[in-house]
Amino acid sequence: MQAVLGLTLLGAAYVVVTMTVAGDRRMLLSGETTHAHHQLEMACETCHGRSVFADAKAAQKALNKNCRKCHEDELKAAKDSHSRKRFRNPRMAEYWDKLDARQCTPCHIEHRPEITRESAVTVAMDFCVACHSQGEQDIRTTRASHAGLGFETCATAGCHNFHDNRALFEDFLLGHAGQPEPTRPAVHGLTARYRARPVSTDKALQPGDAVAPPDALAEPGALQHWAGSGHARAGVNCTACHAADAAKDAPSSQALAHWIDAPPMRVCMECHKPQAKTFVLGRHGMRQHPGIAKPRDLPGWMGRWLGDPGLPVRMTVGEARLPMRADAHPAMAVDCASCHTEHALDTAHAALEACASCHDDAHTRSYFDSPHHVLWQREQAGEAPPGSSVSCASCHMPKLEHRKKVRTTHNQNDNLRPNEKMIRSVCLDCHSLGFSLEALADPKLIRNNFTGPPGVRVHSIDWAIARSRNPEAPED
Amino acid sequence: MKRIALVVGLLWSIGMSMTAALAAEGVSYEKAADMLYQVMSANREVYTRVVVQRLSVDEEILVASEHFEDDAGLPLPSQMFRFVAEAVLDNTENFSYSLLSLHPINKKNGPATDLERQGLEHVADNPGENFYGQEELGGERYFSAVYPDYAVVEACVQCHNNHKDSPRRDLSVGEVMGGVVIRFPMD
Repeated sequence: MQAVLGLTLLGAAYVVVTMTVAGDRRMLLSGETTHAHHQLEMACETCHGRSVFADAKAAQKALNKNCRKCHEDELKAAKDSHSRKRFRNPRMAEYWDKLDARQCTPCHIEHRPEITRESAVTVAMDFCVACHSQGEQDIRTTRASHAGLGFETCATAGCHNFHDNRALFEDFLLGHAGQPEPTRPAVHGLTARYRARPVSTDKALQPGDAVAPPDALAEPGALQHWAGSGHARAGVNCTACHAADAAKDAPSSQALAHWIDAPPMRVCMECHKPQAKTFVLGRHGMRQHPGIAKPRDLPGWMGRWLGDPGLPVRMTVGEARLPMRADAHPAMAVDCASCHTEHALDTAHAALEACASCHDDAHTRSYFDSPHHVLWQREQAGEAPPGSSVSCASCHMPKLEHRKKVRTTHNQNDNLRPNEKMIRSVCLDCHSLGFSLEALADPKLIRNNFTGPPGVRVHSIDWAIARSRNPEAPED
Repeated sequence: MKRIALVVGLLWSIGMSMTAALAAEGVSYEKAADMLYQVMSANREVYTRVVVQRLSVDEEILVASEHFEDDAGLPLPSQMFRFVAEAVLDNTENFSYSLLSLHPINKKNGPATDLERQGLEHVADNPGENFYGQEELGGERYFSAVYPDYAVVEACVQCHNNHKDSPRRDLSVGEVMGGVVIRFPMD
């Protein structure tokens, strides 16, 4: 009996020490973490806060506050249809017991893989029934066209999302109704503008201007690649990256004293701030998001002794849950150079081949036999105008305009799921809204990378038209 | 510059003195709601007249539109009112307010509680009168006040009468279109 008690106390002490001081906490995970969040498993405080002994209510509050720390801006940009602030008004109290939209956790619980669905939803997919099946909000009586529809189809048929309906609301559908699907390839306006921008060569450097140690200059291809890059055109010499810690106006000899062969990512981020800002919001760079809890501050011996694994700074191929190519090295960490080849900084490579060198799912593989890829080949060969082709980046890391400047977003998560997010920023540049809605609602078409017509019918536009013509009549 | 600083300082002192006096004496929920309503009402009137009426109607520089971001225009006065109400909820739980109607274009702006319905009916049936009451929401007691919201200019009436989602299409200028509901939790 005493032995059992002793062992129990010992076990409890180990758990408390692991939670509060140091040690490998992965054994405490109550279940597999969802895709993307699994990258943060070793930084528990990111979600759970540091108050290990908080009561359940306070812990829940802290948890939801931490969700918002990383996701609030995204929801704001999505014009969240069920925003927290709307439901915080006490007049919405009736809804708090049905589906409490003031918090994230009623619909998204972590560590419950057995009930986790698309978009990390952990309630049944007919969740709309909670509020839209009664009284004034009963959609079956206020929309004749919806009378026979099951609530499990609201968010799964390409018609509605809980949060992001920017391309799905009725007036938007009406504004794009009757739009014919273009018969000839179109041009993505912002991409065309970006590619056609004037590039100054006033500060351009030549191979002879390169400042680097002799062995670096002798590295095969390095000098040649740099000389043909945007860096050389913009007057960015080797030392700007490889000796970034040297004083800006330091003479070459002094700058070379600070030379490092492999500059860390922070050097890129120093100049490419807008790209860095969006990179840490996506799955490739989220470990560097400022909201991620820093590793526990322990004396080195304690960390080593108790086996406290800190959160690695970068995501690796081996940690990915999506299918990766067998020849993609599992230890390869994602940083700027993973996609933008060193020295050459080839954006065409970064937009397509870099993605396909790791990702190995049906959608990626099918791309190379798709009409999108034909367009890519034509633009690369100079047979089609700038902005007329489609690469992986065209759709998942598109060019966006902010304050009159066009930039590539590096947050591929913002153009991924729910896929209707991509309608405004990507699809509509070349396709009609009707085609886009149906293509994105067809899983088979997504798998084969949009080779062929959609095999799914989405009635949203037809129903919106019918209601606009006669709001009180039943829609067909 | 010194004169401006003096005036600002004086106004600040008066404001602080009033706040201190009100705090010392205690202000009834009704009085506090009335004061908040005056501020909301004045803000809305000024936005409508100085921003929307001037830029959208008089000078025709920008459109005022329900989809103001897509149309690169101005939010409608009712939208502006609701944005501020939601922003206030980000900052405090000491009070909340809403712009509601018995005939809302968007159903979510219809009455959600018995008191809201009662209050909206009262201000519609008794022009010039406000409505005050108490209700329990989410296990907490609230003081709620309802103030009439009038169709002050032709644009309000036009929009409501012509909108496809409007359940009422016979509104006229000067008529009560809905109400402003202000709530305080009663500790």
